[in-house]
Amino acid sequence: MKNRLRELRDKHAWSQGDLAVKLDVSRQTVNAIETGKYDPSLPLAFRIARLFRLSIESIFEPGKD
Amino acid sequence: MPRFTRNQYRLQMAAAMAVYVALMLLLWPTVRHEVSLPLKVALTLLVVLPVVVFIWLMARQVMDSDELEQRVHLVALSAATAVVAALSMAAGFLCAAGAIVLDGDILLWVFPALCLSYSAARAVFARRYGGLGCG
Repeated sequence: MKNRLRELRDKHAWSQGDLAVKLDVSRQTVNAIETGKYDPSLPLAFRIARLFRLSIESIFEPGKD
Repeated sequence: MPRFTRNQYRLQMAAAMAVYVALMLLLWPTVRHEVSLPLKVALTLLVVLPVVVFIWLMARQVMDSDELEQRVHLVALSAATAVVAALSMAAGFLCAAGAIVLDGDILLWVFPALCLSYSAARAVFARRYGGLGCG
């Protein structure tokens, strides 16, 4: 699954650590999501969407599978 | 209950292990020679106490982890359980068949074997997600 997390984080000038604190996850989890190595659960995807005041589908888009 | 940081967990686990080592060095040599059975049982279980605290801290750390960390913990613990189960079954059958001789002391190695397998499996699975530190 592709996502715009890094782009949105950069727009707010937040570090991965800052975003991790806001989402109550580890910095490594933020990094894994940004690099596409981990797809977040639905509750975490909602937290991300709420934080950026966007819809989930405008942040995450399904991959080929 | 407040959530501990990774360093706080490390500190508390190190403290539990320090108590364990101290008890093993100071208490354990006298336990085998203790003639009173109730005292022998009490002293033996006293040595186990810091290990129970260590296990409780491990469980609490897993519960405090985020969803990706919990996923890695689950996969690593599953792999470690599979390795230790296979090894203990193999050793058990070899012993039952008379191919090797083992005594009850071998059970002391089950928990360390589980911890080692878990650490190795966690390092491997965490790498898949770009590494999750060594907590």
